[in-house]
Amino acid sequence: MDLTINEKRVLAALGESGSVLAETLAENMEAPVESVVQWAHLCADKNLVTLEKEVTGIAKLTPEGEKYAKEGLPERQILASINGSIPMSELTKNPLSKIAIGWLRKKNWITIKDGIVFTKEDIPVGEDETALKHPVSGTRACDDLVKRGLVQVSDKTAWKISITSEGAELAKEGLDLREEIVNLTREQILSGEWKNLPLRKYSVDTLPKKIYGGRVHPNQQILDEIRDILFEMGFTEFYGSIVQNSFWNFDSLYQPQDHPAREMQDTFHLGEELPVPDGWEKIRDIHMFGGNTGSTGWGGEWSYDVAKKCVLRTHSTSLSIQYLAKNPNPPLKAFSISRVYRRETIDPTHLPEFEQLEGIVMDKGLNFGHLLGFFKEFFGRMGFEEVRFRPGYFPYTEPSVEPEVWVDGLGWVELGGAGIFRKEVTAPWGVDCPVLAWGLGVSRVSMLRLGLKDLRQLYKSDIDWIRSSPVRRV
Amino acid sequence: MPIVKLNNEYLTRLTGTDINTIRSNLPMMGSEVEREEEEQTDVQFFPNRPDLYSAEGTARALRGYLGIETGLPKYEVKPSGISFSVDPNLAKIRPFLGSAVIRNVHMDTVMIESLMGLQESLHWAVGRGRKKVAIGVHDLDKIEGPFSYIAADRKTKFVPLDYDMEMTMEEILAQHPKGKAYAKIVEDFDRFPLIIDAKGRVCSFPPIINGELTRVTEETHNILLDVTGIEPRAVSVAVNILCAAFVEMGASIESVNIEGLETPTLRPEKRNVSVSACSELTGIPLTAERMAELLLKMRFGAKVVNENTVQVLVPCYRSDIMHDHDVYEDAAISFGYDKIEASLPPTFTVGKPHPVQKLYSLVRKVMVGLSYIENTPFTLTSGMVSYGMMNRPENPDALHVLHPISEDQTIIRTDILPMLMESLSINRSRELPQNIFACGDVVEKLVTYPKMAAASIQTTADFSMIYAVVDAFCRMMAIPYVVKESVDPAFIPGRCGDIYVSGKKVGVFGEINPDVLAAFGLEHPVAAFEMDLRGFVESE
Repeated sequence: MDLTINEKRVLAALGESGSVLAETLAENMEAPVESVVQWAHLCADKNLVTLEKEVTGIAKLTPEGEKYAKEGLPERQILASINGSIPMSELTKNPLSKIAIGWLRKKNWITIKDGIVFTKEDIPVGEDETALKHPVSGTRACDDLVKRGLVQVSDKTAWKISITSEGAELAKEGLDLREEIVNLTREQILSGEWKNLPLRKYSVDTLPKKIYGGRVHPNQQILDEIRDILFEMGFTEFYGSIVQNSFWNFDSLYQPQDHPAREMQDTFHLGEELPVPDGWEKIRDIHMFGGNTGSTGWGGEWSYDVAKKCVLRTHSTSLSIQYLAKNPNPPLKAFSISRVYRRETIDPTHLPEFEQLEGIVMDKGLNFGHLLGFFKEFFGRMGFEEVRFRPGYFPYTEPSVEPEVWVDGLGWVELGGAGIFRKEVTAPWGVDCPVLAWGLGVSRVSMLRLGLKDLRQLYKSDIDWIRSSPVRRV
Repeated sequence: MPIVKLNNEYLTRLTGTDINTIRSNLPMMGSEVEREEEEQTDVQFFPNRPDLYSAEGTARALRGYLGIETGLPKYEVKPSGISFSVDPNLAKIRPFLGSAVIRNVHMDTVMIESLMGLQESLHWAVGRGRKKVAIGVHDLDKIEGPFSYIAADRKTKFVPLDYDMEMTMEEILAQHPKGKAYAKIVEDFDRFPLIIDAKGRVCSFPPIINGELTRVTEETHNILLDVTGIEPRAVSVAVNILCAAFVEMGASIESVNIEGLETPTLRPEKRNVSVSACSELTGIPLTAERMAELLLKMRFGAKVVNENTVQVLVPCYRSDIMHDHDVYEDAAISFGYDKIEASLPPTFTVGKPHPVQKLYSLVRKVMVGLSYIENTPFTLTSGMVSYGMMNRPENPDALHVLHPISEDQTIIRTDILPMLMESLSINRSRELPQNIFACGDVVEKLVTYPKMAAASIQTTADFSMIYAVVDAFCRMMAIPYVVKESVDPAFIPGRCGDIYVSGKKVGVFGEINPDVLAAFGLEHPVAAFEMDLRGFVESE
């Protein structure tokens, strides 16, 4: 049987046939009574001892009682001060008389006649006076003293501890009473002494304390998984400025200058301007009449001043087109995950900034089917088995597509937009082979993967949520 | 994108099939069914297809897609004999006019609602909120041609729609709900655009409001259409889309003579497109015959010219066809995206991370190893949080957005530490200690660059503790640093240091000033550091 050192000490102290009060046992064991009782209870759980509870009243003098125990009860003191008789008026001058007179009369120690008090002789010591020296709870005298407020009685619980035959047997067999070891010392490990030491056993039922290590944010973890998938597929990562001029954010992507998305209610505009790159005239011509791309263009005017104006990038396509302009020769596969900004009021499903994944594939001979093939592979690796493709519309791609994934409980969920860059977009930079391009709202992917209902949790996170989100998702 | 409300009974009657077939096919034509109700279906169409913004237009496209009626819709336009003059004084105000006469109109409430809905959607999508294009529809039998589009005196009076008294145009801008809504477009001009009939009766004050006189009702059988604007192509698109919708209602179209030009013609635009180019772009194996067949379903006229050329007639309402690729996309939609063979791009390339992102990954590894939990806070913040609550002076290089949406998001962060303080504030009822960090972009002037910051809140957070963390971080990141005394007011004087690398200050650390703690509602010591990471990015 597994016994703690203290349980063993209780059994040993009780001996073979012991049955003693806890106090006595505690004295013998040189341990606090409460601890001994606690250990005995643990032994009792194992049927090695029994405990009997005895509640006794302990009588104790109050401060007033202490005083009278020394000086005598007031009535006894008064009695001693009277020599046979005394006028009542005289007697009441004694400060003790207020208490004493009542008791003197009640105990029949005096008689009063015509205002003169006569004492009786040879009055024996009363039971109450004896009890005052040594009050014993439960006696009538003691109860009287309690009523007079001279004694207080409090309950005292005493435990009688008896060893059972089973316990006695164990005690007889001999108990190892050495202290249990909690932490091993360097010496105990090196010398091998630990093998002979009684090591404390721990209960597996006691739950561990919760600790929290450092960790990558759950959202970042998903972004890193996406990055890893794209690295595995041979993509190079690009990165760029949060601030873009309208030229790179809109004009180079064939978004007409009067497009509603460019207005101040949808886009964060800045007072600053950035220069428009050389060759901007080609973009102007494309907007106005198609330039030499075979397009009709949007018609209307195109303003250089509008193109210079800065905005917080509304999509990372503004980075894709710049990366493409710098790297116009095939083959190329590149992506970026970056914060983008939309002038949205914050609510559970809308935020003014969120992460967008943006990617491009440029090579000779690529077609729309390759874009769809890429998505099937990419979403499959992200854990979305079923993908479908719906026609979409973006000013800078043609054909355009909105890929959707099946999510149990939600149905088809749109995760972004894609297409093949229009000639109006690629031609000005000397790119003459197809460019597959896509943009995905990865914050939405994070919400689906993390089971979140509120996008804000990704950016203003409850630390308990981060602490409790498992790193491995199943 | 506008939501178009389609009456189920009307739509099925126009299309010639049941509502479930329609609803299941709409998404594959490039729209989103927003809501399905007993009587009505709300559909969202893309902004490049304003021709679909009505039951009439949707039904026309559906009949093609479902094979009920394919090919180019034929439009016969007879001259009405009515002429329309345009005042040259409008050149700087609102110069372009389009018009048409529509006869044999028999509209019930559903049709009138459909027409109003189309008008509103066109105002949004083509008209850019009526600025670029505005539409007026009039009961022709209440007025007499010839009509005049003039630049009128601002004090000209007429009874606007929904009113029973005459008002001057200025009064309309000030008092009429539509006047107030659209006043911005015209209020700065000396004279206002006005359309009047032969007797000088006011038909409309574009782009604001029609006259009550020409109100269209179920009793209206002949209509005069006016479309005014500042861009001729957009004006003509709106006229064509409206006329095509009226034809679907059973009406006939007559042209109006505007300054010598009979308009509209509703004639298609001819384009010769390449079969092989379409195949190469879409990945769909095609013959000229197959391609023509696919395009007929999309309501183009299509005729095989030779084995690699199809002659396409683009309907007058398809303003989105700007390039051959736009035709190819329609062929692909007609073929069905789900039937296109999806295969991985064969392109071989070698991937690699961007140096800045690579650096962020390393920062994460080191900080997680030091038991710090990552935060990914917003980059939009306010001067109040970034400087005011941090006890620091405003940063003159912070970038302010022009029209912030709330007081909490007026600038782009120049520091990350205030974001962490905010995070500690949000989590102040959570168990301590809290060790958090963040790495990410900040912007000063117009330059985006990487930073990182870390903060620890606990009863034992102090200068020595965070110094040890800074030291461990720098050692792991192989950053040789020295520390100098600092006077950053965000920290307690005498308990903060500046981090220098190669003689340049790159960061600061120490114990956060209790005034700052109070500003963020924190009750325990916080020790923190922040570093500019620009110098540690590998070259690309």
